[in-house]
Amino acid sequence: MLKSPPSQSPPISQRGPLVLIVDDDARSTRLIAQMLREDGFNVEVVLDGARAIARLTRAPLPDVLVTDLSMPHADGNSVTMFARSQKPGLPVIFVTGYPHLATSLAGEPRPTLFTKPVNYAELLTALLRVLPPDRRPECRP
Amino acid sequence: MWDELKRYVRFTPADAELCAAFGKLAAPEFSRISQEFYDRIREHEGAHAVLTGEEQVARLQRSLVRWMERACGGVYDESYFEEHSKIGRMHVKIGLSPRYMLTAMALIRIELTRVAAERCPEPARTTNALNRLLDLEVAIMFETYQEAMSARIRNADRLKSEDDGRALARLEQLYANAVELAPVLVLGLDRAGNIRLWNREAERVTGYARDEILGQSSDILLPEDLRGTLAARLTSTVAGPQGSAESELLTRAGKVRHVVWHAAHMQANAEDDVTVFLMGSDVTDRKAMVERTRQAEKLAAVGTLAAGLAHEIRNPLNGAQLHVAFLERAIVKKGSDAGMLEAVNVVNDEIKRLANLVTDFLDFARPRPLTLLATSLIALFARAQAIVARNAEKANVRFTCDLPSADVEFAADSPRLEQVLLNLVGNAIEALEPSGGGHVTLRGRRQPRHVVIEIEDDGPGIPQAAPIYDAFFSTKEGGTGLGLAVTHRIVTDHKGTIDVNSRPGRTIFRVILPLTQTDGADS
Repeated sequence: MLKSPPSQSPPISQRGPLVLIVDDDARSTRLIAQMLREDGFNVEVVLDGARAIARLTRAPLPDVLVTDLSMPHADGNSVTMFARSQKPGLPVIFVTGYPHLATSLAGEPRPTLFTKPVNYAELLTALLRVLPPDRRPECRP
Repeated sequence: MWDELKRYVRFTPADAELCAAFGKLAAPEFSRISQEFYDRIREHEGAHAVLTGEEQVARLQRSLVRWMERACGGVYDESYFEEHSKIGRMHVKIGLSPRYMLTAMALIRIELTRVAAERCPEPARTTNALNRLLDLEVAIMFETYQEAMSARIRNADRLKSEDDGRALARLEQLYANAVELAPVLVLGLDRAGNIRLWNREAERVTGYARDEILGQSSDILLPEDLRGTLAARLTSTVAGPQGSAESELLTRAGKVRHVVWHAAHMQANAEDDVTVFLMGSDVTDRKAMVERTRQAEKLAAVGTLAAGLAHEIRNPLNGAQLHVAFLERAIVKKGSDAGMLEAVNVVNDEIKRLANLVTDFLDFARPRPLTLLATSLIALFARAQAIVARNAEKANVRFTCDLPSADVEFAADSPRLEQVLLNLVGNAIEALEPSGGGHVTLRGRRQPRHVVIEIEDDGPGIPQAAPIYDAFFSTKEGGTGLGLAVTHRIVTDHKGTIDVNSRPGRTIFRVILPLTQTDGADS
């Protein structure tokens, strides 16, 4: 699935691009986080909308937001609006089982929409695409 | 008549002369006689009722004087008769009863004969002449009364018979209209089951005109396998406890309509008298609509339930997919093992298949608004043909497209309509697969307001009453049972209808779509 699998143990970069993942499915989310870290990202995970908003009130703000839509306390659209009030133009990726819940309220640039089950390779490609070139992880193609 | 009267009364020219002589002598008395006459009338209630006032009385007194002058004028010709008949008619007109007329004449007779006795040289002869003259006057008066009476009787008779005739004609018209205009089939059958009454609705539903069907056996209205048995049922069982029975009715065009019958029996004498009236309602469309409504409700209910479930399936699938990706990465890291990677790929494919099924199902269960665009029937058929041609060849099935001579353009969501064609043609091909060979036809036709698409195959057919449009109903191994359910939904979303006519050796699915055009807003 991966185009160029790592040939050695990947370095966990602390200076890589920061991805904030918001999803109440803890097990799957942690797995994504682990693979992303192996692929050179700096990843933080929160498990509901309220915690996501709390996290977004302090620095450092993420380079990209990956969020579910249907979650406890605050939904993905709200989290996105708050995040973009803190950091205008923040790239956002929706990963959801309810794609029809995505609204235009999330603003520009329009979030990339993934319907679960998500293919990790495709998610990785999307992440690399939405990040500005200077913020892409060093060890990735 | 006047002469005949004079003869009968024996009023002679000599009498006329005597009357004239009397007139000359009596004239000064006329005014007094007239006044006394009307004084007497004034005193009498019934006679007085016809008078309207003193002015009128004065006028009447003058005319009575004139009357006496003329009566004693010596000229008794036709114009005299006419003139005095007019006076009689006037009495009739103002409603003076004949008995007052008679007493009035008696009064005048007494006065005149008294005057004759007092003044005339030949009182006896003059009195006789005056009596004959006054008898003539009474005859004239009676003649006018009788004239009026017979006119009234004739008129009353005429009015009565006119009324009777009109009432009868109106009643007949009323009944005829009730039968003719009733929105139900009304048939009358004689003892042998021959048709004797046939109303307009019966003509409309069956296509048989009255003049061609009257006298024919009602058997021609029944499908062949029901002949005899149903004719008997219609004429006997219909009158049973529930009073109604449903039957199939064969139209002139060979179509079958469903009709609910009520019957009314009556005694008949002649062989060709109606013994049973049948009143039928065509319930074909209602039945079809009830069936469609039931279908739509069922789909809506199942859809809501299943949509929720389908979403919930996506989350565990997501976990599975990610863990497979993780496994794959670990296998690659440890040095590729072709067997294990293959296994991982199989799991990946299966997950993808499940994910697609969920998406398809949600498409079906959660109505999505159509995108209606101008669609060409020929182009639509061409795309479908390109896709199914290979499957048909693989199954050794001959596939033909039967297109109308001119293209038909209509508003439709063409990708979804294409899905309808692929589903139906795919089913037809699969139905032929077990037997091997066979023929599938995709046919398009234009009707005045609809486009009709038929998919016909010569396979084994569909069991009667199979709930083929129900989600998850499938006769195929590995079928999801969603194909026809989705098809049904897409067709009804297009405000169209789908029905199937199936028997072993020929199955036709018929999709009928309204021939609407896109308006500017849709494009």
